[in-house]
Amino acid sequence: MESSLLIWLMAVPLATTGAIVFAPERMAKVLATFGSMVGVLLGLIAAGRFDWADGAAYQFTSSFPLIESLGINLSFGVDSIALWLVLLTQLLQPLCVIGSFSAITERVRTYYAWLMALQAAMIGVFVARDLLFFYISFEFTLVPMYVLISLYGSTNRRKAATKFFLYTFTGSMIALAGLVYVVWFTAQTTGEWTFAIETLEQQARTMGRSQQAWVLLAMLAGFAVKVPIFPLHTWLPLAHTEAPTAGSVILAGVLLKLGTYAIWRFVLPFVPAAVNEYAPIIAGVCIVGILYGGLVCWVQRDVKKLVAYSSVAHLGFCMLGMFALNNVGAAGSVLYMINHGLSTGALFFCIGFMYERYHTRSLDEVGGLASKMPVWSFFMGFFTMASVGLPGLNGFVSEIMCLMGAFQSGAADIGAGGTTGPLGPWYAAIAGTGMIVAAMYLLFMVGKIVFGPLREPAGHHEHDVLPTDLNAREIGVLSVLAAGCIVLGVYPRMVIHNIEAPIEQTLSVVSMAASGDDPASTLATTGGPVLLAGRDAE
Amino acid sequence: MTELLANLVPVLAQEVSAHGDGGGPAWIASVPLLALFASVLCLGALFLGVKSKLPAWIVVVSLGISFIVTLTGFLAWQGTADDSGHLHAQLIQIYEWIGMANAGSGGEAFSGFFGFYMDGLSWLWMLFVTGLATLIALYASEYMEHDVGKGYARFFAAFALFVFSMACLVMGDNLLLLYLGWEGVGLCSYLLIGYFYKKPSAVAAAKKAFIVNRIGDLGLAVGLFLTFVTFETIQYDELFASVGSGVMANGQAYSGTWQSWLIPICLMIGAFGKSAQFPLYVWLPDAMEGPTPVSALIHAATMVTAGVYLIARMMPLFLADETHLALTIVAWTGAFTALLAATIGMAQFDIKRIMAYSTVSQLGYMFAGLGVLTSAGAAFHVFTHAFFKALLFLACGAVMHGFAGQLDLRKLSGLLSMKGWGIVSLTMLVGCLNLAGVPLITSGYFSKDMILAEAFVTPNEVIAGSSWIGWILLFTAGLTAYYTFRVFFRVFVGPEHFEPGDDHHGDDDDHGHDHDDAHSNGHGGSHDGFHPHPPRMAINGVLLILALCSFLAIPTYFVGKHHGWVGGLIHESSAYVPSEATPWLHHADDDHTGDHAGDAHHEGDLVAGTILGQDPHKAMYFISAVVGLIGILVAARLHGPAGAWGLGLGSRTEAATSRADALLPRMGPVARWAQNKWYVDEFYNALFVRPLYVLANIFHAIDKLLVDGLVNLFGLLPRWLAQSLRPSQSGVLHGYAVGMAGGLVVVLVIVLVLLFMGGGGG
Repeated sequence: MESSLLIWLMAVPLATTGAIVFAPERMAKVLATFGSMVGVLLGLIAAGRFDWADGAAYQFTSSFPLIESLGINLSFGVDSIALWLVLLTQLLQPLCVIGSFSAITERVRTYYAWLMALQAAMIGVFVARDLLFFYISFEFTLVPMYVLISLYGSTNRRKAATKFFLYTFTGSMIALAGLVYVVWFTAQTTGEWTFAIETLEQQARTMGRSQQAWVLLAMLAGFAVKVPIFPLHTWLPLAHTEAPTAGSVILAGVLLKLGTYAIWRFVLPFVPAAVNEYAPIIAGVCIVGILYGGLVCWVQRDVKKLVAYSSVAHLGFCMLGMFALNNVGAAGSVLYMINHGLSTGALFFCIGFMYERYHTRSLDEVGGLASKMPVWSFFMGFFTMASVGLPGLNGFVSEIMCLMGAFQSGAADIGAGGTTGPLGPWYAAIAGTGMIVAAMYLLFMVGKIVFGPLREPAGHHEHDVLPTDLNAREIGVLSVLAAGCIVLGVYPRMVIHNIEAPIEQTLSVVSMAASGDDPASTLATTGGPVLLAGRDAE
Repeated sequence: MTELLANLVPVLAQEVSAHGDGGGPAWIASVPLLALFASVLCLGALFLGVKSKLPAWIVVVSLGISFIVTLTGFLAWQGTADDSGHLHAQLIQIYEWIGMANAGSGGEAFSGFFGFYMDGLSWLWMLFVTGLATLIALYASEYMEHDVGKGYARFFAAFALFVFSMACLVMGDNLLLLYLGWEGVGLCSYLLIGYFYKKPSAVAAAKKAFIVNRIGDLGLAVGLFLTFVTFETIQYDELFASVGSGVMANGQAYSGTWQSWLIPICLMIGAFGKSAQFPLYVWLPDAMEGPTPVSALIHAATMVTAGVYLIARMMPLFLADETHLALTIVAWTGAFTALLAATIGMAQFDIKRIMAYSTVSQLGYMFAGLGVLTSAGAAFHVFTHAFFKALLFLACGAVMHGFAGQLDLRKLSGLLSMKGWGIVSLTMLVGCLNLAGVPLITSGYFSKDMILAEAFVTPNEVIAGSSWIGWILLFTAGLTAYYTFRVFFRVFVGPEHFEPGDDHHGDDDDHGHDHDDAHSNGHGGSHDGFHPHPPRMAINGVLLILALCSFLAIPTYFVGKHHGWVGGLIHESSAYVPSEATPWLHHADDDHTGDHAGDAHHEGDLVAGTILGQDPHKAMYFISAVVGLIGILVAARLHGPAGAWGLGLGSRTEAATSRADALLPRMGPVARWAQNKWYVDEFYNALFVRPLYVLANIFHAIDKLLVDGLVNLFGLLPRWLAQSLRPSQSGVLHGYAVGMAGGLVVVLVIVLVLLFMGGGGG
């Protein structure tokens, strides 16, 4: 059972898709809800069976040879970081399904079928231990999302969907080129074709400086589009604005994390020397993204676009923490992936629920809803505060850890609390101004849409389907996310504690490359339990 | 499931550890939790739509219990003195909030506990925070009553959340938990300033408060990072031990490093934001948009003193810098802010705004006190100010409540002789006497004196221009007495006159116009039908208790060995300025035995300063008394009514005008500039806000045209190609998608078949 758990995680949503396709239209909702709930159950079983004490090692592993002559296998397995992201996906899925009940009234079957297929693809990315399967899943996520946007989006949906597809697809092709080069390189050195990520990882590190730099560039081209890192972000506001609510939630919650996860999984351990060399530039670009994205948010008139742009700023923090190349920064970065999924996903839900009532997202047309929709306003304010990084809620923990990591990185000569690394205090201090900008744009948003005198679109009339304020279903969806925000804000150690081992393992590779040790010597240490000795004994 | 929980949340299996040298009770940790619980209950009441005063009683009772718990805990802690009479800080650690086992790359792990550090400073703050919060909640139960069923529960939920945050700020045992409280009180301040959320000015003020505070918060965050990098810890006990030993975590000497001046400056910036010091003071006057109980508790007595708390808490770090750079800036900023705010306060007509500027000004005194190395004086001023300023605000609030939001001192007069306004007027007088620093009978006099005298005592070599700071503060004391009594003479004595404000129930009821007037017993907006609405039990009772407290604070000045009771508490805390840091005082003590000539000093030794050749500690009693009285007399002359209440100097016969009006033209534009707050807001707007907004718009345009434009241009190329190759565009991607999905399904089916046939690999 254990070894097939990950396959079940993918098979259940796919089976649900199949069932939805063949079942009558009215059953689609029910089947999708059921399928995604089973997914939650499976996720919980996985979390329960997972040996958290050995989080650095791949678990639930299974492998099936596909084309043996080319070394193509289907291998699955998760370490604790991947498992957390799987859990995030499993948690968001039923919320997206349930949150769509009233928004999607036409072509219901197609909608839920693709939504469930999307889940399978996302899980595939996180559980893949084989490059080919990773890449197939990574690319396959585009298809359901394309359909969801182009069929169920707003007025400009065609353009948005096409742009989303072509932009990220083009990027991924370049990334594929980089990855294929690594495969070829490995085949050259070992004489055997393989797509196993662990083997490729060890061989890729032995590449020379310029090779590493080119591979870094190629991989970043693909993955940075997905994150998105400034200036490769322009597909995002469009796609977010046009996507249906659940599409935006998945997009912000999980799809963007595919990019950050891929950078963590491939870029850092594959080309550690190049990462060390170019980390200051990447971090610099992230900081520009934080400030630029934040300021652009501030002048948006479309509330959904505002939140979309805020992702550019937020993921700037996430990548800054990752490229600090120390434990605190990396843990903050991984935590950021989860936290951003919860709080920004929830903001998209809030906006979606508002949109269903007013059919506008313009801050000029609608505002001051606190008196009309107090419960909605409470949640909107709550998730804004999670997003702005209020201590006690989840956003703060990851943000302060990313900044702390950037501050420590390279500050070893300042004090013993610093680490060796490519960044330094200035990076954190300048990126920290992003916290002020975040307060500016998010409070601007809340000040317009929640507070102030009540403004409703001209010609707006009470409709019959939905009550004025949120209904129990919508409150339920938002409450789950709010609970997540509180739990991860109050007890983030739950995650931090369990992702330390894999982080340490990956970073030890990176720091060895920085100190100029023979890359081959890292072969002996990666993947072994030796490095776990540093973990605390709790 | 339980296994999973135990794995993910090991804290549940852990026990609360209370250690440290002190032996006080660990259950003090229940104080913040109690407030949090009250807040959650109020939130529940809000969701359930409770239409009674229940939320107020929940909060009053739970805060009352918090106060009793704090007081009991304090007394227990007092009983734990060691043989030499010292009280030690007590550490109560609940669980590790944010932390890593190992930082990797040669660094040390980063860790912040959810734990509490109780020493004299924390106890002092907790006592007046919980005590005042209880009283003000009681006051608010009456003050906010016309919002019952509307904003009432929301108000008290935020109120209790504020007490929770403030308790975390004050009791936290590390900078990270302090940061939690720091931003938490900022949130509550935001929510409560914006309480009348339909009013654009309130929303704008709330936003401004949060954003300006965030600027300070960045300073605090950077200070936190730098502290950790330097000392490998942000936990107070370990941090102070390291600073005390003078060695950084890497084994090198701390003294003389650039961190030794930069860390205090970063922390100082944070303190300036929260405590509304120049240049970050601009949010506080606008914060008066909130309901008056909020102004009293958050924006006068407690939250705004958090900056004073931070610097007092971190005093060892500030003293570790031998150049005293940060402290000098703190002292000068404090003095400048005190003067600036006082000049603005003199020219305002809105009595609540006057009180707001006076708060900024008095906070300036506290900062100056910290800067000239009298943390005991600063803390004592925080303590006395908490009572009399809360009193002043609540008295103003009662006026506002009764006169339909009227706050203009030109439209109110002679409240003292109106029926039902006696208690308000007399307690207002007590507050004014304290703020003006009337000698001997007020606590404000003693606390201000401590700071003033110390400014002259501290040698100019230690804090540059210390005696100048003293003179500025002394001059400001005169201005303070003037503007304080300007309010009193105009509003509370003289001919009876009033014009009601614009609002049904005062400014505080701006939202909720939708309710009909049936139950509003004669609060019509028109003057004809308007009857002032004197306060009842809760408001009057709280005013009386606060007036009493501000008198009771006087004897605390005379007990104990270290500058009174407050000084004694400071002595048992990290805020204590040790005698090695103030050698001039040490010498003065030695000199008690014999010669005052000073020939006992070595050449170049620091000598305590003097004021006009006198010992400042004694001379200041007289000088500041005279300055304060002059201020009152000038106010009486310019604004006092004819007769005894005008001290025989005044001649005012109507509400709207006074002798001061005749002076204004002679002052030229200065008075107008002061009235317009020296145009600081306009200046910030032109210098920061507008350029930033323009920049944001430019970025937005760039994003649309350049960044996205390039992408679109790039995208055109393959599209042309595709079009020429494949005329039928529609459905291509869809077909591709179906094909891909089918492929994936086939692959998975193969895998599953393999799995069940071969038992799976691994």
